[in-house]
Amino acid sequence: MTTSLETQQTMQDGQWGIHYTLEPGQTQYHELSHTRVWVTLLEQEWQIRSQRVPEDDNQKRWLQRVTDTLPDAEMDVQRFVRPDNGNQLRYLPAMSSLATVIRPHQPLTIAANSECMIYVGTLLWMRIQVGNKGAHLVELPLADPSLTWVGRTTMEGELCYSAATYARLVLDAVPKRPWRAITPVRIVNERPQPLLLERFNLPTPLLSLHGDEKGQLWTPGVTVVCETDMNSARLRIDHRLIAEAGHCELVAPAREQSARGGLVRAYDRIFG
Amino acid sequence: MIEQFENSLMQFVGAIAWSKWISTLFLLILGILLASFAARGVSRFMEERASRHHTVMVRRLVFYIVLAIFFVAALREAGFSLDVVLGAAGILTVAIGFASQTSASNMISGLFLLVEKPFEIGNFIEVEGTIGEVVAIDMLSVKLRTPDNLYVRIPNETLIKTRVVNRSRFPIRRMDLTVGIAYAEDLERVENLLLELARQNSVSLEEPKAFVLVTGFGPSSVDLQFSFWVPANRVLEGRSQMMVAIKKALDEEGIEIPFPHTSIYAGSHSEPFRVELLRPETSTKKGDPDADQNG
Repeated sequence: MTTSLETQQTMQDGQWGIHYTLEPGQTQYHELSHTRVWVTLLEQEWQIRSQRVPEDDNQKRWLQRVTDTLPDAEMDVQRFVRPDNGNQLRYLPAMSSLATVIRPHQPLTIAANSECMIYVGTLLWMRIQVGNKGAHLVELPLADPSLTWVGRTTMEGELCYSAATYARLVLDAVPKRPWRAITPVRIVNERPQPLLLERFNLPTPLLSLHGDEKGQLWTPGVTVVCETDMNSARLRIDHRLIAEAGHCELVAPAREQSARGGLVRAYDRIFG
Repeated sequence: MIEQFENSLMQFVGAIAWSKWISTLFLLILGILLASFAARGVSRFMEERASRHHTVMVRRLVFYIVLAIFFVAALREAGFSLDVVLGAAGILTVAIGFASQTSASNMISGLFLLVEKPFEIGNFIEVEGTIGEVVAIDMLSVKLRTPDNLYVRIPNETLIKTRVVNRSRFPIRRMDLTVGIAYAEDLERVENLLLELARQNSVSLEEPKAFVLVTGFGPSSVDLQFSFWVPANRVLEGRSQMMVAIKKALDEEGIEIPFPHTSIYAGSHSEPFRVELLRPETSTKKGDPDADQNG
């Protein structure tokens, strides 16, 4: 199912936020994460096809190419009437619309009165915008997100996405992929007891996305302070990105603006 | 004779205070118009800010309040004293109450339903075997739209008296599937396989965790209960997807899902059954003494 190495070499790297131009009859093909996407421009319409494939761990690039051949007719297609005569299209990343529960593969213990920084990679959605005015067509998750429930009981709580993570403590060890956004999470344990980090709730809809020169996406850092009770904590979203991210530009604003000027939020059941 | 009749008619018509009645009628029509405008305005204002249920309730309340104000004003204009009208209404209520006990009971039940709020418009409820989406909660009855698109009217009294299951009250639901496995199969292997399916399925929630219980030793299979949680709005999809996945996974693993069958077993301490091979029926009948006698 994966594209041969030879073909991969002839393909170019895809980028978030830049304008691509297609001529009527042309198709732009993308291969990234668990997804293949075909965007076709016809005289009167845009067509979008997508397919889920197993992720190739060795593939670090977002591959794209423009062809004059139409994609396989048997695939499901979404058709959109052209909003204007513009031939441009661009792809914008978006964080999930629900909060994401981060679950380290192996639980991590944070000693009493200490703190740590973990780096979390989260799943992105791809927004496709076309035409002169950038009309929004669809939003595709780049992998199938799994759902989970966060709440005291099955009656009260909220549905969240769930993501398993290696909870890496060293930034260099975090695999850099254009389809993952890296969020640095600083966890401060102010309790006199150690904190066993089995999972925590990351408010992904409140995070904006910023792209660096290499095409890697970053979100502002998140600080979680656990003062007394394990089930409640204060969460703050930083204004700026971490210095290691280098020079970045805003690619997509946060889906939601947090309340109270936004930066401090008391979270119930942040650690699950 | 005709002239006399005409004269009396003219006198009667002339005696009616037309202007008073016209203004009464005008007030009533104005009341209906303004009440509908006000209700529509409130509904538009609330649509984006409140649930469908609350929007409908407030819309109806505004409509009736505005209408009542204009109705009272119209009565005064027509020359009715409000005290007399209210007194008459009291007597009328008792009379109507006796005459239409069912309607009154439904109306009161409707009020209790509004206060108790066991369901809202848009919820999926189950009443006496009827499952459907609540499309309206009215003075006398609740209207449901069933999944096969039938319109069902259920009197409010029934809803107060009987068991009502609200399927949309909580955001998540547990699906319990019964899976029968052949006696020869390894139960632990099947359990791991089912839990792995729950992990892979995107509709099935990670938390609360899925689980497998052995519920009984059936006549032809070991019965397992496979339970997993799904979002309330994806129940059908979740159940069907999982059933297909279970069948496929068990087939791939060569695990038998037995259909009901009966094994005749005489027990280990008794003699095995004697099995005798008989000749075809036609030839046996020839040698049968009974057949000869009857023939």
